[in-house]
Amino acid sequence: MPYFITEDCIGCAACAKICPVLAIEGSPKERHIVNIRRCVSCGVCGRVCPKNALLDGHGNLCKSVPRTKWKKPVVDTALCSACGICVTWCRAEALRISLPAFHGDIHVFAELFQPKNCVGCSLCEDNCPLGAIHMEEGIL
Amino acid sequence: MKLPSYAMIDLAARKVSRFEISEALYKSYIGGKTLGARLLYDLTPAGVDPLGKDAIVIINTSPANGTGAPCSSRFNMTFKNVLTGGIASSNCGGQFGVLMKRAGFDGIILKGQSEQPCIITILDGRIEISDAGDLWGKDTEEAQQAFPKQYGKLVIGPAGEHLVRYAAAVSGERVAGRCGAGAVLGAKKIKALVAYGTQRPEIHNRKKFAKYVKKWVSFLRNHPMTGEALPNYGSAGLVSKANASNALPTHNFKYGHFKDAHTVSGETLADQYLVRNSSCISCPIRCERRVLVDGKEVKGPEYETCGFFGPNIDAISMENMLRLNYLCDILGMDTISLASTIAFAMELKENGLADFGISFGNSDNLAEIVEKIARREGIYSDLANGSKWMSEKYGGKEYAMHSKGLEMASYEPRRSVGMGLGYATSNRGGCHLNGGYLALLESVGVLSMDALSTSAKPAFTAFFQNALEAISAGGFCLFSAQSFVPAILFRLGPHHAVTRTIGKVATHLGFGVRALLWMMPILRFNSVYLFPHAEALRLITGLPFYTGSFVKLGERGYNMERLYNYREGLTKADDSLPDRLTKTPQDASNPKTVVRLDKMLPVYYNIRGWDKSGAPKTRTLRRLGVLS
Repeated sequence: MPYFITEDCIGCAACAKICPVLAIEGSPKERHIVNIRRCVSCGVCGRVCPKNALLDGHGNLCKSVPRTKWKKPVVDTALCSACGICVTWCRAEALRISLPAFHGDIHVFAELFQPKNCVGCSLCEDNCPLGAIHMEEGIL
Repeated sequence: MKLPSYAMIDLAARKVSRFEISEALYKSYIGGKTLGARLLYDLTPAGVDPLGKDAIVIINTSPANGTGAPCSSRFNMTFKNVLTGGIASSNCGGQFGVLMKRAGFDGIILKGQSEQPCIITILDGRIEISDAGDLWGKDTEEAQQAFPKQYGKLVIGPAGEHLVRYAAAVSGERVAGRCGAGAVLGAKKIKALVAYGTQRPEIHNRKKFAKYVKKWVSFLRNHPMTGEALPNYGSAGLVSKANASNALPTHNFKYGHFKDAHTVSGETLADQYLVRNSSCISCPIRCERRVLVDGKEVKGPEYETCGFFGPNIDAISMENMLRLNYLCDILGMDTISLASTIAFAMELKENGLADFGISFGNSDNLAEIVEKIARREGIYSDLANGSKWMSEKYGGKEYAMHSKGLEMASYEPRRSVGMGLGYATSNRGGCHLNGGYLALLESVGVLSMDALSTSAKPAFTAFFQNALEAISAGGFCLFSAQSFVPAILFRLGPHHAVTRTIGKVATHLGFGVRALLWMMPILRFNSVYLFPHAEALRLITGLPFYTGSFVKLGERGYNMERLYNYREGLTKADDSLPDRLTKTPQDASNPKTVVRLDKMLPVYYNIRGWDKSGAPKTRTLRRLGVLS
């Protein structure tokens, strides 16, 4: 169920900038619109909105959450096959495939190398075919 | 059951409409290249000009694309082959396919020709056509940078714009290379296609599928071929193996052994040039090479590029080869056809028939020549037409190394005669993958069937052609099938008595494989060791895919492609190889080192259920459900 932006929107574009699937459109200082065909209901927009102007798929008002409390991915490196699906979906460029530990190392895996960029959308968790990623709170 | 949604894009009128795929069509052809072949056959009359306004281009995905199954990001392009006039299907591991599917389209059919260069944007179930503006003329890298990073892109480079006959379409750093995929888009004046969306593909049994993917991935990662050899050396690792068995084309396929092959081998590449390995999205094998070219990290070469820009032109410079590989990518050209045409031009010079300023043993000046070919400057416009066209103009037909017009890949057929039969009979021309890839069993793999014997080769070729066709149709990378050779043989090594015995026995197993082909309808089982793809497809689509019906899907597709070729006038006479391979022994002291097509073709046709002229019999087509 897609999210919805209410009339409280002041057009600050905080949500549009952070949306991991580029689903929020609108011009500055005007009410923004969620592209319902694209919204994946990750809830990131609701967490960043300074005016609490977002309703989730069930019509509940979203509350802003401080960035430090956002969930971030933890990769089970034994399970990860470094297939790169999570990296492809990560718009924030927070994930990458780890660099080889030595020349010719082929045992690489996905890693959260820029935790500050992560928006906690959990697209990586949803798309991981092996279930090697789960989201946890309190990671910096 | 959700039927695939296709769109018909009329470029001349700039109109988009839905295109219905019937349930019967979907059930028998599934998607990818098999469905593409059927649609191409149905939608175009015989004899259209592949670069003309009546030609159509089908870009479609398969059920497995985007589901997260291993090696499943490959989408397909089907069109009329620019080089052969037959069918062409080109397969690419870029993100475009996955994202087109997520945008709500399983396939698009492009018809007509645009007057102005244009861009096709596929976003969330909507398709728009806009003008390309100054994007036209840019290389594939710059063109892709013009769009948001998340979008899946499929672009052509200057080579496609100038209708170089073997131009490629590029998605990310992956390439739909062969048969002129870039040229057909260039002829339609499409500079780029971009797609983005977030709809998740439908999976019939999501729970079981997730479990099966785990099992399959762990099998691939523990197999010595897909878990060690390919990630370590990529396909380039085959150079030294092919060289050891005299199957490495050298000096335009004159010889099969190159004394300096180690300079361009996968081992040297891994030791000295490799930065890291990488992969197409969703692939656990990770065979892609990342190398530095002029201080920039780019995609490294595959086996074919190593072989063709190295031994086949007698060159030993790895740096030049890496640069040429990168150049081909940004200009949008197929390295196999280009390099083979260059080798042919070099031999023309050696024989005094034509001089293009290039000669064997020197790859220093090739970079500027390649640029000129991509832009069709002066006499280099001839090179852009491929080796078949050149051999008709300048002579030297006996050493123009193509079959039907498409240049052969870098496996010397005289030391793997099954591969020779594959090249000759392959529907898209001299292609190793469409040709059954028997080289893997004969000369470059751990198993070694007798590479010179013609016995059993027709049966194996037919079987593997069907199997590889089905794997492609499912949307999987063919490398995921490399795990079918049992792991134990790799552990024992190629020289162990057991491995050698199995190789020897396989040479005489023709009747067994023929029996297997007959038994397909009753092979109702799936095994992760044989074709894990069948089980994955069964769980994704909910259709009864088992080993037997899966291979039969491939057979149906293969016959469909053949039928298209036959309608376009490609007959038995086109199932041929250059005289160099069929008449001149590679080793003068061993008369067996030629490809005895005359011996193998009748048997092959018989196994396939084709008549003596190479046309599929009505009975065969009925059995496969091509004709009702």
